[in-house]
Amino acid sequence: MRCLLVLLVVLLTLPTRAEDQPTWREALTEALTVSAPNGAWKAQVSGAVTLEAYRGHQGNPGLVFSESDPFIHPRLTLFLDAELGRELYAFVQARVDRGFDPGADPMGVRLDEYALRYTPQGRGISVQIGQFATVIGNWVARHDVWQNPFVGAPLPYEYLTGAYDERAPSGLQDLGPGAGVDEYAYLPVVWGPSYATGISLSGRKGGIEYAVELKNAGPSSRPDAWPITEVGFSHPAFSARLAYRPDLRLKLGLSYSDSTYLLPSAARTLPSGRRFSDYRQRLFSQEFSYEWRHLQVWAEAFHSSFDVPGGSARTTAGYVESRYKVTPQLFLALRWNRQTFSTIDAGASRARWGVNTTRYDLAAVYRFTPDSQFKAQVTSNRPSGDTSEVGVAYAVQYCLRF
Amino acid sequence: MSYFPLLILGATFVLSSARAAPTCVVEGRVTLPTSDSAPVVQQRYEIVSKEGVVATNPPRAVVYVEGPFPREESPRTVQLAQKDLAFIPSLLPIQTGTRVEFPNYDDTFHNVFSFSPAKRFDLGRYRPTDLPVPSQVFDLPGLVTLRCEIHQHMRALILVLESPYFVVTDANGNYRLEGVPPGTRVLKAWISSKATRARTVEIEGAGPLRVDFP
Repeated sequence: MRCLLVLLVVLLTLPTRAEDQPTWREALTEALTVSAPNGAWKAQVSGAVTLEAYRGHQGNPGLVFSESDPFIHPRLTLFLDAELGRELYAFVQARVDRGFDPGADPMGVRLDEYALRYTPQGRGISVQIGQFATVIGNWVARHDVWQNPFVGAPLPYEYLTGAYDERAPSGLQDLGPGAGVDEYAYLPVVWGPSYATGISLSGRKGGIEYAVELKNAGPSSRPDAWPITEVGFSHPAFSARLAYRPDLRLKLGLSYSDSTYLLPSAARTLPSGRRFSDYRQRLFSQEFSYEWRHLQVWAEAFHSSFDVPGGSARTTAGYVESRYKVTPQLFLALRWNRQTFSTIDAGASRARWGVNTTRYDLAAVYRFTPDSQFKAQVTSNRPSGDTSEVGVAYAVQYCLRF
Repeated sequence: MSYFPLLILGATFVLSSARAAPTCVVEGRVTLPTSDSAPVVQQRYEIVSKEGVVATNPPRAVVYVEGPFPREESPRTVQLAQKDLAFIPSLLPIQTGTRVEFPNYDDTFHNVFSFSPAKRFDLGRYRPTDLPVPSQVFDLPGLVTLRCEIHQHMRALILVLESPYFVVTDANGNYRLEGVPPGTRVLKAWISSKATRARTVEIEGAGPLRVDFP
C-alpha cells in the first residue's frame, strides 16, 4: 500500500503543468516504433499506467470484487499496433493488474485483446479475427481508459442481473440473488467491452455502418470465458450492429445478439432433456450519439432476455451520458443510468429477478498534459424496493499514457 | 485623363523605397536529423481501417533571422490543413500576430488542440463543412504543438517568431531566404524542440550569402 501511495505521488508530481511534448515522451515513442526500411511494415508499442482508487464501492454495482475499502487498483496496459502493408493491421492489448475487473487477485499479466484485420483497398469493409471487443453498441469506441470520461462503465455494462453462468437454473424461480452461486458468476447485460474470441465483418457505405460477428461467448459472458483456450466454439454467439449517420454529428444505431449465457462447464448441470439452446440470452439495443464542438452525448437502451425452462427473465437497461469540454484541459461528464427487471414467479408470489436501480455518475477530468490526466467520479446509486437506500461511491483515477 | 504621371510617380516611389531598404539573400544547408519514423495509426475500435500508410513529412528545419522586428500592419492569414488524417504542413513558421486557419479536408471530425504555453486552445470537434473555418491568432512567440484529440498520431508544430524573415528547408535541408535586410544579424536554424543552432552573420547586398548549419 505504501509503495502504491508513493507511486501515486510520483505520478501526480511528474507532469504538473500543461506543456509541450516532454522530451522523454518523444524519445520513448521513437524507441518503441520500428519499421521496415522500405516502409512495408511498421509497429509501435504504446501503453498507459493507471492507478485507481475506490471508496464506498459496496454501494456501487460496478464489477469491483474486493472487500477492501478504500480499494486501490494499479494497472499497466501495453498496446502493440502494427501496419503490415496497405491492407493488414494488427493489434494486441496486454495488461498487468489484479484482474480484468478489480479484485483481490495478485498482480498478473493477461492478454486481453489480439486481432488481425484485413481491409481490402477500395471496398469499405474489414474482416477481423482474434480476441477483441464486441461490435455491439457505441460504448466500446470510447471504453479505453483515456477516452472514457468516467472511471467505470455505464450501468448496462457492469450491473449484475440475477442470471448466472456456472450452472443451469431449473426455472425462473432459480434466478436472482440467493441462488447459491458465486458472486462472480452473475452476469450483466454486457460484460464491459466483451473481449470474446471470434471473427467479425464490418463496413461502411455512405452514412451506413454495419458489423456482424461470430464469437465463442456471448456479450454477457465474463472475462474467464473470452479466451479460445477456455471456451471453444461449441456454442457460438452471433451479434450484429447497424448504424446510420445522416450527418457527421449524429449517429443512430441498432444492435442484436443471440447466444447461450451458460459456460460449457455447466453442461453437467443441465436438467434432463434440456440443451444449451434453452438458456439463451437475446439482446436488442438502440443507440444514439451526437457530437459537435465541445459537446458529446451518447445514449443506449438495451432490452435483454435470459431464457430458462418455462419462460424468460427480461431486463431493460439504459443510460444517457454527456461530456463537455469546459477548457482545453478540463472536461465535465454526467451520466444517468437506469435498469429495470421483469417480475417472475417466486413460489407463491411474484418478484423481480433483479433490483431495479437508478444511478447517477458525475465526473471531472483534468488533463495535465496531452498524455496525463486525472479523473474524479461521484456515483449515487438508488436501488428501488426493499433495499431503497442511496449508496454513494467515489472513484479517482490517474492515467499516464505513453 | 492620362494615368501616365501617376505611373511615373508610383514607379519612382517603388524605386526609392527599394533603394532605402535594400534586401539580401541568404542560402545554405541545414543538416537534418535522420529520424523519419512515421507513426502507426491506432484504430483498434474503428469500423473500417483507413486504407494505406499515413504519410508524414520528412524532418525539416526552419531558418530565420532573429527578431524582434515590427509586426506587419495587416497581419497575415495562413492555413494549416488536415487532410488524409495528417496536418499539412506539419511544420509552419509564422510571425507573431498571424492568424492560422485550420480547414478540415477529411470526411471525418477533427479536433485541433494545443496545451503549449505560447498558445493554449481547443477548437472542439468540427466537420469539413463547418464555416467559418476555425482559426486562431498567435500573439506570443514560441513553439506550439498541435494535436488532434480524435486521431492520436496527428502532430504538427507552429513556430511563432518575432520576425518576418523565415523559410522552411526542403527535405534535404537546403534553404534560400530572400528579402533579408542588411546588417549584422543572428541567423538561426530551428531543427527540433531540442536543437536550435545560431550564427551571427554580416549580411550585405552583394550576392547571396551562404550560411550552413552542419
